[in-house]
Amino acid sequence: MSAKNAVLGLVIERPGYGYDLARRLEERFGSSGFAPTGVYSALDQLSSEELVRSAGARPGSANERAAPRTIYEATPKGIDRFEGWMLGDSSLAPVRDELYMKIALSRPHNLSRLIELTQTQEQDCLALLHQLREPTGRPQGRPKAWSEVAVLLVRDAEIKQLQARIEWLQKARTIMHKLKEVHQHGTARGDGTA
Amino acid sequence: MSSQVRIALEKVSKSYWRGPHETTVLKEISLSVYAGECVAVWGQRGSGKTTLLKVAAGLEAPESGTVRFKEQDLGVMSRAALVRLLREEIGWARRAGPESDELEMLDYVALPLLKRQTLRRARRRSAAALSRVGVGECSKGRWEDLTDGERTLVSIAHAMVRQPSLLVVDDPTANLDVLQREEVMGLLRSTAEQDWLGVLITVPDMPSMVHAHRIGSLSDGHLLVPSGTLPERDNVVEFPARGRAAPG
Repeated sequence: MSAKNAVLGLVIERPGYGYDLARRLEERFGSSGFAPTGVYSALDQLSSEELVRSAGARPGSANERAAPRTIYEATPKGIDRFEGWMLGDSSLAPVRDELYMKIALSRPHNLSRLIELTQTQEQDCLALLHQLREPTGRPQGRPKAWSEVAVLLVRDAEIKQLQARIEWLQKARTIMHKLKEVHQHGTARGDGTA
Repeated sequence: MSSQVRIALEKVSKSYWRGPHETTVLKEISLSVYAGECVAVWGQRGSGKTTLLKVAAGLEAPESGTVRFKEQDLGVMSRAALVRLLREEIGWARRAGPESDELEMLDYVALPLLKRQTLRRARRRSAAALSRVGVGECSKGRWEDLTDGERTLVSIAHAMVRQPSLLVVDDPTANLDVLQREEVMGLLRSTAEQDWLGVLITVPDMPSMVHAHRIGSLSDGHLLVPSGTLPERDNVVEFPARGRAAPG
């Protein structure tokens, strides 16, 4: 999925300038891996398709030499396009994973390294989870507005994906440990099945 | 900083015998919980989460390693001292509820206080504890009348009524929907911060961990912490508790 629809949705929620939108995109969809620069190319595309337009400019902060920042708002055509996207089907992203490929193509002598990789990936998943902290500004406790609930549901989906990944990594590591022992035992006896 | 440590596990190991097989569920685990922070440990079913909590709460002794509560080694404490510690300093949230179905929640939460306080005073503190966790309206209710979310909150009130230094909760978000979960986890975090408690919980679902100051994953007896984070003590600095300045 490109950042285009996400940026269009954010502009409809609240007009904003490039940096503001990049920050909001990171806050709401941080784990989706959108590059911050993708916001600017998305805005260019949305502008050329007349889905967003300038709603004025914000002065360039304390630095007077900084260029004013264009504030973008959605056009009626942009709102229609977004509603159409909302009604459309949602695709599942294809899974392309380097670790899967390494495991599929590995041999017994690679097990030690694969075990290390599963551990490193698990720690990285936990680090990602740790970054998916509370959306800033939301009061603690039971959410009340739908917008708060929606953010939580999306965050839950992202975390559940990390959890599924961690569960798989742990199971893979357990079986790799067992097979490594079997392999080492076999090698010590001179079976040497590689 | 060391004076703020509520519980510190150092190289703790624990095994169980299942028939002829010995299973090591905790392998040299080290974990500290500080005042003002909520630490969440996630693990799959059977990973040893509850065993970890029981060892941390002094309910089970490790085979090796040490467990220190405010720098007191639980392993060398007399049984009487340990019982006193469990009664006064460590709040274990019982998920089973009261043993009597007839007990109103006001009296159930007041029970831990009755040995030292009058019924009237204990009930007053019980009412305050129930209100504090947001279920004041359940005070006249019975356990069987409560929803899962209310039971969790009443259990937390029951564990907190004696104002412990460490609150230990096994799986506080079981059977809760996302809204109830947010309420309970927000409460545990704010309780740690505002009451200057150490809070240690286990969770079976990772979305519940987001509110915790620190997280870990338990598998094969080992506790993994997020990569790129600093050692434990510095983690507390990284996510400082709000609402109260750290004592010197």
